[in-house]
Amino acid sequence: MRPGFSPRGDRGGRGGGRGGFRGGFGDRGGRGGRGGGFRSSEGGGFRGRGGGRGTPRGRGGRGGGRGFGGGKKVLIEPHRHEGVFICRGKEDALVTKNMVMGESVYGEKRISVEEGETKIEYRAWNPFRSKLAAAILGGIDKIHIKPGAKVMYLGAASGTTVSHVSDIVGPEGLVYAVEFSHRSGRDLLNVAKKRTNIIPIIEDARHPHKYRMLVGMVDVVFADVAQPDQTRIVALNAHNFLKNGGHFVISIKANCIDSTAAPEAVFASEVKKMSAENMKPQEQLTLEPYERDHAVVVGIYRPPPKQKK
Amino acid sequence: MAEQKSVPSDLYKCVYSFLLENKFTKAAQQFLKQTKVKPQDQNEESLVNIYNFWVKSPEAKKRKAPPNEPGAVNGPAAKKAKAVAESSSSEESSDSEGEKAPAKAPAKKPPPPPPAAAAGSTRKKDSSSSSEESDSEDEQPAKAAPKASTGVVTSKAVVPSKAVAQKKQESSSSEDSSSDSEDEQPAKAPAKPAPVKKVPAAAAAKAESSSEDSSSEDEAPPSKKPKPGVYSAVPPPASIHKAPAASKAKEESSDSSDDSSEEEKKVAAKPAPAKTTPAKPAVSKPAAKKQESSSESSDSSSDEEEAKKPAAKVTAAKAVPGKQVKAKAAPAAKEDSDEDSSSSEEEEVKKPATKVTPAKAAPAKAAAPKKAKKDSPSEEEGKKKAKKPTAKPAHTKTAPAQKDESSSSESSSEDEAPAKPLTKPATPKAPPAASKAPAKAAETSSDSEDSSEDEEEPVKPKPAAKAATAAAKPAVKAAKPAAAAESSSDSDSSSEDEKETKAKPPAAKVATPALKPAAAGGKSAAAESSSDSDSSSEEEQSAKSKPTAAKTAKSTAKPTVPAAKPAAESSSDSSSEDEEPVKAKLAVVKAATPASKSATPAKTKSKAGTSTTPSSKPTTPAAAAESSSDSSSEDEEPVEAKPAVVKAATPVSKSATPAGKPAAAESSSDSSDSEDEAAASAKKVTAAAGKKAKESSSESSESSESEAETAPAKPAATNSKAATPKTAAKAAAKPAAKPAESSSSSESSSEEEEAASQSNKKATAPVVAAKKTPAAKNKESSSSESSSEEEGKARKAATAPTTPMTNANGKRKQDAESSEEEETEEKTPKNKKVTTTPQTFPKANKKSSNIPFRRIVEERVEVDPRLADNSFEAKSGANGDWGQKANQVLKFTKGKSFRHEKTKKKRGSYRGGAISTTINSVKFDSD
Repeated sequence: MRPGFSPRGDRGGRGGGRGGFRGGFGDRGGRGGRGGGFRSSEGGGFRGRGGGRGTPRGRGGRGGGRGFGGGKKVLIEPHRHEGVFICRGKEDALVTKNMVMGESVYGEKRISVEEGETKIEYRAWNPFRSKLAAAILGGIDKIHIKPGAKVMYLGAASGTTVSHVSDIVGPEGLVYAVEFSHRSGRDLLNVAKKRTNIIPIIEDARHPHKYRMLVGMVDVVFADVAQPDQTRIVALNAHNFLKNGGHFVISIKANCIDSTAAPEAVFASEVKKMSAENMKPQEQLTLEPYERDHAVVVGIYRPPPKQKK
Repeated sequence: MAEQKSVPSDLYKCVYSFLLENKFTKAAQQFLKQTKVKPQDQNEESLVNIYNFWVKSPEAKKRKAPPNEPGAVNGPAAKKAKAVAESSSSEESSDSEGEKAPAKAPAKKPPPPPPAAAAGSTRKKDSSSSSEESDSEDEQPAKAAPKASTGVVTSKAVVPSKAVAQKKQESSSSEDSSSDSEDEQPAKAPAKPAPVKKVPAAAAAKAESSSEDSSSEDEAPPSKKPKPGVYSAVPPPASIHKAPAASKAKEESSDSSDDSSEEEKKVAAKPAPAKTTPAKPAVSKPAAKKQESSSESSDSSSDEEEAKKPAAKVTAAKAVPGKQVKAKAAPAAKEDSDEDSSSSEEEEVKKPATKVTPAKAAPAKAAAPKKAKKDSPSEEEGKKKAKKPTAKPAHTKTAPAQKDESSSSESSSEDEAPAKPLTKPATPKAPPAASKAPAKAAETSSDSEDSSEDEEEPVKPKPAAKAATAAAKPAVKAAKPAAAAESSSDSDSSSEDEKETKAKPPAAKVATPALKPAAAGGKSAAAESSSDSDSSSEEEQSAKSKPTAAKTAKSTAKPTVPAAKPAAESSSDSSSEDEEPVKAKLAVVKAATPASKSATPAKTKSKAGTSTTPSSKPTTPAAAAESSSDSSSEDEEPVEAKPAVVKAATPVSKSATPAGKPAAAESSSDSSDSEDEAAASAKKVTAAAGKKAKESSSESSESSESEAETAPAKPAATNSKAATPKTAAKAAAKPAAKPAESSSSSESSSEEEEAASQSNKKATAPVVAAKKTPAAKNKESSSSESSSEEEGKARKAATAPTTPMTNANGKRKQDAESSEEEETEEKTPKNKKVTTTPQTFPKANKKSSNIPFRRIVEERVEVDPRLADNSFEAKSGANGDWGQKANQVLKFTKGKSFRHEKTKKKRGSYRGGAISTTINSVKFDSD
């Protein structure tokens, strides 16, 4: 059995046969395909660990070791949230089904599982890297992002979380990834190149009219913009693109709103603002310990007809 | 209402206000429903004024028929309403209505055809009822000139010109008188008390009773018809109660009022009684009932104030006067003797409490000194304004008061006012011209200030400053909770006093303001606040202040009475009782408003009386010859007394306001003042914020109240209520006299006014005037308005003050401009109201100047207790969570180290264990 190695482009080193595997020369840090992939060989299991950043390491990590406890027996089970899975093993991990087989987006680990003749690859989703993953791990009730959903992602950055959202919504869904920074936008574009369900938008989310022609009605707005007026930004986009009864998931960084005020007060204030925008908050969850002074608010949008722009 | 439809939309307000004033609450409600008219601003001209103006105007003559229509319409409507009201409402309503209505009716009726005829009493009533209108009308047509001319001419002239002039003059004079009365009240309070006491003591001085009775009776009959309707709505209960009591024993009513006042006083402060009593005695005898009423009211107010705070004596005096007046009025209406007795009783009661024993002599003396001082100043200044205003107010008020007597202090105050008007009208009219001639707003203002100062000093010595007393009163009221109503009443009284004082100051100061806008400007902040408050406060004041005044007067009266003799409480008691019982807020409010109205009238009257008394006192200062003093005072009052009173009142008010400002503690009025001041000056006191808010609210509420009231159907009541609630809230906040919403509202208004006045004494003065006017409008455009209008007319300055107030509200600092603005404002009541609200905002803005920018003000954010802690440990399901291990590391880190630790975990080396899928989020309440 060839290790379920998912070569990524030229790079993905073909890990050596079983066990062998070269630490990625990776594109920088982990982002590039790293050799390490999960190997779903029989038992499937994580194999190798992320290649060192660009540091060629002979036979990476431990030679033939298998990641995650030898990865023999890894069980993938669906999470409460549709499209999200939990990799049960010696150590549990949150994973999503990789839409682009054999490729890691940001150096995350991959787990491939073979079911019968089909191999399914999952990508580990690190809550320390993604607020959405942190929210899921923290125990949020609904993320409203599910297979087939159309999601507007405000603050897509380099596309790490976007790639997982892309995995969740699957081929039937769409992700409008809005990012204003060209530097991050470059990475986002690279991610979008491989994932057809991502529509990158390098624009300021404050001006939804600039990309109104690119975006249709969406089911969910996810916002991680960390701007003082982020509630307004979300509201603007919601007014423009979010369907009635659609949902919003907002990650609030208290320090970006008011670093002098108590985070709790900031969150309460933001929640209040949302209520004023026809965005009805439904739940709130702290992102501790994955993020400091962060909270995620999930709610439903039901704007009156008038407010629709 | 049919008439209303036919009338231009512009008049709807006037009509509505008129209805409200006349206590045709039902009709007003219906009218409001049909026309959706906003309540008329206090400053706006009263229908009566308009009518008078119209009548006077050449065009009107040409159109006598049309004019008649309005007048006739009003009259008929009023009559009808009154009749209905009477029938519907109890004696109280009838009384109050009767007085007012009669007054109005006569006034209205006479005016068209004969202004001259009814002129005296009717005019006064009319003026009182429509005083605002007339004033406003006068102002509108030719704000100053017309009014002045009309005022002068009409003042005594009999006919239209007289009516108008009288009205204007009255309004001005009423204001003046009110101010005078206030001044006098405070100052005189002592003096008058003596007279009153004498009367009571000496069988209530039959002469006085007779004179009062005659006047009151005269007034009463006419007034009774009309008023019933008016009062019926609100006052009825109170009036009824009182009426019965009164009927049974007017003295009793007076006593009850006294009792209530005494109680209040006692509760509020025992000191008050002493002062009140003194004031009353002097007043009672000298000025006879009217004077007594004024003096009494002043006394009562003074008593209250005194009781509350020696400093607040003035206010107390005013309050008391109002009560006394009411009591007197009631007696007069029912029986002069009763009134006298009540007044005397009250006085006695009051005197007993404080100076009672000194009895009349002591009080009289005290009053006399004050009065003398006031008188002198007042005479100089007072004569001009005081006479007319007092006369008119008195009339208008007296009529209502008489009817109302039974109902409530308001009625009593009204009665008194009417009664006084009657008596005074004659004298006043003559004086008015003189007073106008003096015209010497500046002089008066200065004089009044001086006098007020003098008075204040004299009075204050004890009160330590009327303001203080005022504050004290509020405090007392608040303290007394007992009487939220009482407190309110107290505050009202205080507010009235303040108003009066303010009004007076305004008159004086206003006059001066006109002369010295700069001063106003200086006060601007305060003035603004005050002005804002003024507009609102005016309304409130009129409504509230009057109510409060009435109430306060009542309360004070009651306190005094309790202390001394419950017997004379009728009017005050009824009002106080009404208020107290009413705490029911609405009823109370209404009662309060009526009371306040009556009180205002009473105040005006009382003022006039006080002024007269002062004058009389001067003549027979401290002298035992109260009767003589009364007569003299009456004469003097018309001419000198009023001015003096006005000035004195203004001074007092000013002094009081200042004191109050400093004190900031002054109960409602004080608090309001303090608030205003605080707001204006800048939250001097902690209450400042609260106060400001309250003030603003109160102001807004006041304005809104006035509007709301009109809209509801019982504008006055609503206003008073609204005002009271706010004021009450304020009062409660400060004094803790929350129960008395009406009072509180009045207080708030008064407070605002006071605050304004206090914050800027000058401003305050204007404010007071404004307040008075507003109050008059609120309570009864006629009485308070008349007073305000009268003031305004009599002294443009006065009007200016009122308008400044409004302006101030709009622009606080425009006090200087006030005169012009006042006119404009008066013309456009709405503006005033609007302005009031704006003021509040500005205040808030001003406050936030030094505060660093903060997107999130934690203090203002309500955090869900479930979300009060954002930490991991606080989260449900934290134990055993996949992130628990990370938390143990990261919770100790901060900043860069956190980042470092987190980065390590990003690499994937983190092992958290099992992942649970439990739901740990906090759910918001969702449908």
